[in-house]
Amino acid sequence: MTPAGSLLHASALRKAYGTTPALDGADFSLHAGEVVAVMGPSGSGKSTLLHCLAGIIGPDSGTVHYGNRELTAMSDAERSALRRADFGFVFQFGQLVPELTCLENVALPLRLTGAKRKEAEARSLEWLERLEVDTVAAKRPGEVSGGQGQRVAVARALAGTPRVVFADEPTGALDSLNGERVMTLLTEASRATSAAVVLVTHEARVAAYSDREVVVRDGVAREMVGAV
Amino acid sequence: MRARHLALGVRFAAGGGREGWIRTILTAVGVALGVMLLLAAASIPHVLDARQQRGDARTAVEGAKPVARSSATLLYARTETSFRGDAITGALLRPDGPDAPAPPGVRELPHSGEMVVSPALKELLASPEGKLLRERLPFTTVGTIGQPGLTGPGELTYYAGSDTLSTAHGAHRLARFGVGTQPPPLNPMLLVTIIVACVVLLMPVAIFIATAVRFGGERRDRRLAALRLVGADVPMVRWMAAGEALFGAVVGLLLGTVVFLALRQFIGSVTLWDVSAFPGDLTPLPALAALVALAVPLCAVAVTLFALRGVTIEPLGVVRNNAGRRRRLWWRLPVPVTGIALLLLNGRVDRGNGVVNPYLIAGGAVLVLFGITLLLPWVVEAVVARLGGGPVPWQLATRRLQLGSGSAARAVSGITVAVAGAIALQLFFSTIQSDFMKVTGQDPSRAQLSLTLPSGDVATTRKMMAQVRTTEGVRGVIATVEASASRPGPVRKGEAFAPSTQVTVGDCPTLGELAHTGACKDGDVFIVKDNSGLVDDGYLFKTARPGAQVLFNRDPQTEEPDGAPRLWTLPKSARTVDSRKAPSGETAFGIFATPGALDTAVLDHPTAHAMVKTDPAVPDAAEYVRNTAARIDPQMRVITLQNLERDKQYNSVRTGLLVASTATLALIAASMLVTTLEQLRERRRLLSVLVAFGTRRATLGWSVLWQTAVPVVLGLALALVGGAGLGLALLSMAGKTTFDWSVVWPMVATGAGLVLLVTLFSLPPLWRMMRPDGLRTE
Repeated sequence: MTPAGSLLHASALRKAYGTTPALDGADFSLHAGEVVAVMGPSGSGKSTLLHCLAGIIGPDSGTVHYGNRELTAMSDAERSALRRADFGFVFQFGQLVPELTCLENVALPLRLTGAKRKEAEARSLEWLERLEVDTVAAKRPGEVSGGQGQRVAVARALAGTPRVVFADEPTGALDSLNGERVMTLLTEASRATSAAVVLVTHEARVAAYSDREVVVRDGVAREMVGAV
Repeated sequence: MRARHLALGVRFAAGGGREGWIRTILTAVGVALGVMLLLAAASIPHVLDARQQRGDARTAVEGAKPVARSSATLLYARTETSFRGDAITGALLRPDGPDAPAPPGVRELPHSGEMVVSPALKELLASPEGKLLRERLPFTTVGTIGQPGLTGPGELTYYAGSDTLSTAHGAHRLARFGVGTQPPPLNPMLLVTIIVACVVLLMPVAIFIATAVRFGGERRDRRLAALRLVGADVPMVRWMAAGEALFGAVVGLLLGTVVFLALRQFIGSVTLWDVSAFPGDLTPLPALAALVALAVPLCAVAVTLFALRGVTIEPLGVVRNNAGRRRRLWWRLPVPVTGIALLLLNGRVDRGNGVVNPYLIAGGAVLVLFGITLLLPWVVEAVVARLGGGPVPWQLATRRLQLGSGSAARAVSGITVAVAGAIALQLFFSTIQSDFMKVTGQDPSRAQLSLTLPSGDVATTRKMMAQVRTTEGVRGVIATVEASASRPGPVRKGEAFAPSTQVTVGDCPTLGELAHTGACKDGDVFIVKDNSGLVDDGYLFKTARPGAQVLFNRDPQTEEPDGAPRLWTLPKSARTVDSRKAPSGETAFGIFATPGALDTAVLDHPTAHAMVKTDPAVPDAAEYVRNTAARIDPQMRVITLQNLERDKQYNSVRTGLLVASTATLALIAASMLVTTLEQLRERRRLLSVLVAFGTRRATLGWSVLWQTAVPVVLGLALALVGGAGLGLALLSMAGKTTFDWSVVWPMVATGAGLVLLVTLFSLPPLWRMMRPDGLRTE
């Protein structure tokens, strides 16, 4: 059960890769509609925390609750269904499917939830317009710039109107100008749809777009003192 | 300069850390598999030659003149039997003196009641399954036959000593073993088949090697991009990539040679379709081995350079610039068409004659099959460009193919060529097989076995009848005693010899199987006319007439009775009837007598013949009959009656094809599996991302299946067209116009089944690759 008001809550998460601990008793809490930045140096366990929160991987111990449901007790199929329906993802290099057009990439999560092709593509086009990349709708990811690709990836994450967007270094591969544009669009669009955002970054200027910052160090997450 | 870059590439492969070694090992294992098959193929001439030489060395041939008896001669009688479908050959030996020659591989001649056996027969006799066979070979095993006396380690053969063997009883005298005969020249149609088969079987191996040297190529190209950053130009990195492939190919060549040499030690324990070989037999011809050693590294370099034509390795990554360039048909289509034209240029070949130009035929077949591999990427590209819509897995698969169908087409080119070749061979082989099948005229529905005593006396003949009748699993016996009868008296004017005919003695049911006797009772006699047209009735009636007297013991050399004349008078009641074809396919005619009318004791040099009907409910009935036959006389011939008999050369070519196709298909399956896994590994991160945002694993599984299935279906369709084209060209060469289309479908089904199997095998790794571990970057 999540503490009062929180949408996603993790407690005492532990995860090790072989003998290397990635998380060592991390706690985390996310409220509906808030943007939380997870910061920390390379190898501190930020991405592992995000993967555990999203149900992509299971922790060795500890629990993750989403609403009334315990993610850590769900089967793989249940977690997949949850990710399809309620979560959206943005990765560092966009990770668009290279053989699909940008429009088809954005429509993909909608189609996976059973939407008809035309309907999915119409909704996706709206999102591409919102993120100012409708001009590349018919192009393949290899034919667009890094910034455009990342905006397409944001559109893909938001097209399914998720309740939580997980963004892992979404500007890591972009220059500062493009990075800022992507962050502005991501945070504006998520706030407009009341989606909460878990933003993994090691850049302070990216974290500045968040409502609250959490620092992960040596596998333990701590609330940043003085954060908004 | 190029050599320096090539050498640099070799150094990268050897010192490229874990990643470089994984790629080298992948290539090396693939090349090693291909090299093993090529070395095995290069050994076939030696295997056949060695078998032939050892077979010749032990052959006992009766000379034109009888060999005089001396202390250095022996009597030899060959025996043949079979046990549950396996042929067992043997010989009975009786030395005339202490210096009698021993057959190759036999140190000391076995004494009477003893035998020396091949290791495989020894093992069979010692096993529980060999119990029935032990009854048939009631000799004490005193030794084993060495390699010089065997055509292969799996051969079932023996030499047994006998003290009753005589020339009068079918044996002949030898002073030595071995002949220097030349095997008969191979029939031109079979020669065409062998040439095409070599091309068909080795082309996929070559394709496989070409595929193997590209294993891990995409990752290698990405790594080479880093070298562009430090100033290497495009030709430099291409030669470096070729150097890396060369290293893998050379390691594969060495690995393949070592594994081939190691595996051939175990080759004797494998018997495929009655063919086995000794390790030493499997020695590649030096020229062919040298060709393999040279061609494989060259192929690695050439294939890599060719593959990198459409790839630009830029300092910041790899750009595949062939995506926008459409494949052209105009230069691809002429290749197979030229191949067909070359085949038709050879002219007509039939069973008896015809000039076979091996270069023209091999060249034609290579061009047709190579043309298919050129056409396949064009066909795949042209078709997938028109595909669209459908559910998510279908969309993912078709879009992937539209983006780049080259690697998918490459993955199935091996199976396409193999299936096309197999279709052509099957079409050709099944159509020409009627030329190599002899309709025996035997009727296995009336009797299944035919037994013949080499020479018979009446007592043995009676013993045979009685014992065979009471053998387990025997439902009926058509047994006759046969001898010759001639008109008594001297040769008349105008005659070269006295007219004679055959006398057959058997009971009423037996005679009813051999002639249309109608009502019959013991004591009856029939004069049977020959319906086959060999002997005219006029000649028959010169000897066989009701009330006429016949002589049984005329000496054919002197035309005089051999001793006191043994005469018999045909009863006046003897009826003239028509003959009927026996279950053995032969037509008997002449005088047919029941035992009550003619005592067989009066016959001269009678032979006994029996046809046996067995009970299908007793699976080993034929083995029981063979045991009985061996007990009566080890030299008795027991033949299984069958409708059709295949030509021996045809049979051996067919066997060779089966063995080689099995090896090729196994290789292709391995190649496809590695290529599929390679492609999956390249997409590992993307698969993890798709799983991260909730894509069902089944969705991705289906997408991979479609991605393989579409090129496979197109490849098989092309194989069907190309294979049929090649087959029809070969058939027109053989002057055949009718053919059986049904033989091509099993080939297509085998190809499709193989692909399905490979896809099934690739699913577990796909499942593993869909784990979120692929998302980790640190």
